[in-house]
Amino acid sequence: MSAAGQWDVLQQAIIDGKTAAVESEVRRLLEAGAAPESIINEGMIPAMIKVGELFEEGQFFVPEMLISARAMRAGLAIVKPLLRSTEKVTKAKVVLGTIQGDLHDIGKNLVGMMLEGAGYEVIDLGTDVPPDKFVQTAKEQQASLIGVSALLTTTMIRMQDVVRSVEQAGLKGKVGVLVGGAPVNERFAKEIGADGYAPNASAAVRVADSLLGKLKGA
Amino acid sequence: MRLDQLAVAAYRDGRRMVAPLLGYPGVQLTGSTIRQNTFNSELHARSLQALAERFRPDLLFFMMNLSLEAGALGLPVRYPLQESASVEEHPVRRASDLEQFRQIDPLADALIQAHIDTMRRMKDLLPAGILRGGYVVGPFTLAGLLMGATSLALATVEQPELVTEVVEFARGVVEAYGRELVKAGAQVIAILEPTATFLSPAAFRKFAGRADRQVIQALQEESSRKAATAGEEVMTILHICGDAGHLVEAMAETGAQGLSLDSDVDLAAAARRVPADVVLVGNIDPVAVMGAGDQEAVAAAVEHLLEAMDPYPNFILSTGCDLPWNTPLANVETFMRAGRGWRRQAGHDK
Repeated sequence: MSAAGQWDVLQQAIIDGKTAAVESEVRRLLEAGAAPESIINEGMIPAMIKVGELFEEGQFFVPEMLISARAMRAGLAIVKPLLRSTEKVTKAKVVLGTIQGDLHDIGKNLVGMMLEGAGYEVIDLGTDVPPDKFVQTAKEQQASLIGVSALLTTTMIRMQDVVRSVEQAGLKGKVGVLVGGAPVNERFAKEIGADGYAPNASAAVRVADSLLGKLKGA
Repeated sequence: MRLDQLAVAAYRDGRRMVAPLLGYPGVQLTGSTIRQNTFNSELHARSLQALAERFRPDLLFFMMNLSLEAGALGLPVRYPLQESASVEEHPVRRASDLEQFRQIDPLADALIQAHIDTMRRMKDLLPAGILRGGYVVGPFTLAGLLMGATSLALATVEQPELVTEVVEFARGVVEAYGRELVKAGAQVIAILEPTATFLSPAAFRKFAGRADRQVIQALQEESSRKAATAGEEVMTILHICGDAGHLVEAMAETGAQGLSLDSDVDLAAAARRVPADVVLVGNIDPVAVMGAGDQEAVAAAVEHLLEAMDPYPNFILSTGCDLPWNTPLANVETFMRAGRGWRRQAGHDK
């Protein structure tokens, strides 16, 4: 198998969402001597980029994306414990959650999986998360990004409290706030002073990458 | 009368029907909370009466509650004071889990009865000329509340027969409640199907659209039974919040007389994709414009939308979703004024 083609089976299994096939291929690659970080960086991340592209092209929808992301995570679970602490495979830490008062999690879960698939370490606080908790966790975990989701028009307004809380903690410019969810849009994100808005889980990766670049440059 | 006939008649008269999804801001007029209105049909109807008298919309829905039917099945629901209710647990994992719910009569639920009673009271309290609207949750969305949205999404690919069975069960619940709303005097029923936004058009047709169509047929059947005496037939709207732009054609195939679409959707583009007898309802941003914007922003957004929709008779000016409870009432006034001020431009008449 050519060097470029050695990841084909793994990537196709992730795109097809075949969890068992991903697990067996990851094990095979490890036995064949592939480095854990290469499996992630060269095998898994490009597959999830492809999944994002298929979503944006309208070939994949949320269910297909979820299934691919779940398969990727199964592979990741095998590889991650094998990484040496010195190996840098994590782009940055992201604190993620659904805003207080809101119990919806599908969008947040999908964003979490896509970010993980793009090399981020995701700290998922779940649903119904108080604004301060996002910021407190970001501080404790030295996270670069906070991702806030809302599905209700009645709860999304509370996203601005996360932005305020970041400012009050003196983290503006150091920790970026990314917002999303069905009723959220660019205009709303700007109005509340969020650093980024993503209309879907695939875009969330792009926005997170771009935001990270700006923060690092700050 | 069908919804498109009303919308087109207004258009021919040189005006637009104007109907923001107003329910929650009614709490400002009665000094109450969403929770109080949910539990108290007398108060709920008074809040709606106050909205109707102040803003005179063409159509007024009661307050949106996506968790109502799930709560009637015994699922734990959180009712905050001033926010939408939320279902806290989603216990259905397999078809056999539905058995426990089949024993329950959702119509025996106190909150379901409170909403039916609200509709009866709307009949007495709302000024003439304002259509009375009620909401039911869509079967697919109720299936999502029973199973959890993520599990439901995965199951559409991996366990389609389970999804079909849960949706079918949910359809029965929705129909039973919807029929009671029709009997209580609902003139318009909006089916709320937000969870379907994540589906492909093909999956929408298979899992949501078919059930929505059956609900619509059941409501129409119920109202034609009633119409023999009352002389009016129920009008139906299918509402999906979020970006449902990819589903417009599939939504129109359900037989809904109106499609209520959120602010993410290009409504003029949608108008070119649906038959002329399907009314588009929408879609001013309920939060960024109506809730957080000033009157100038509201007027500009409404005028921009009216202009974009000018060639299309099959349109009702509304908001993309329900308004937050604390939406400035001055913004609602501006919305109504801008909507009422519209006059059809010469030459635009399909």
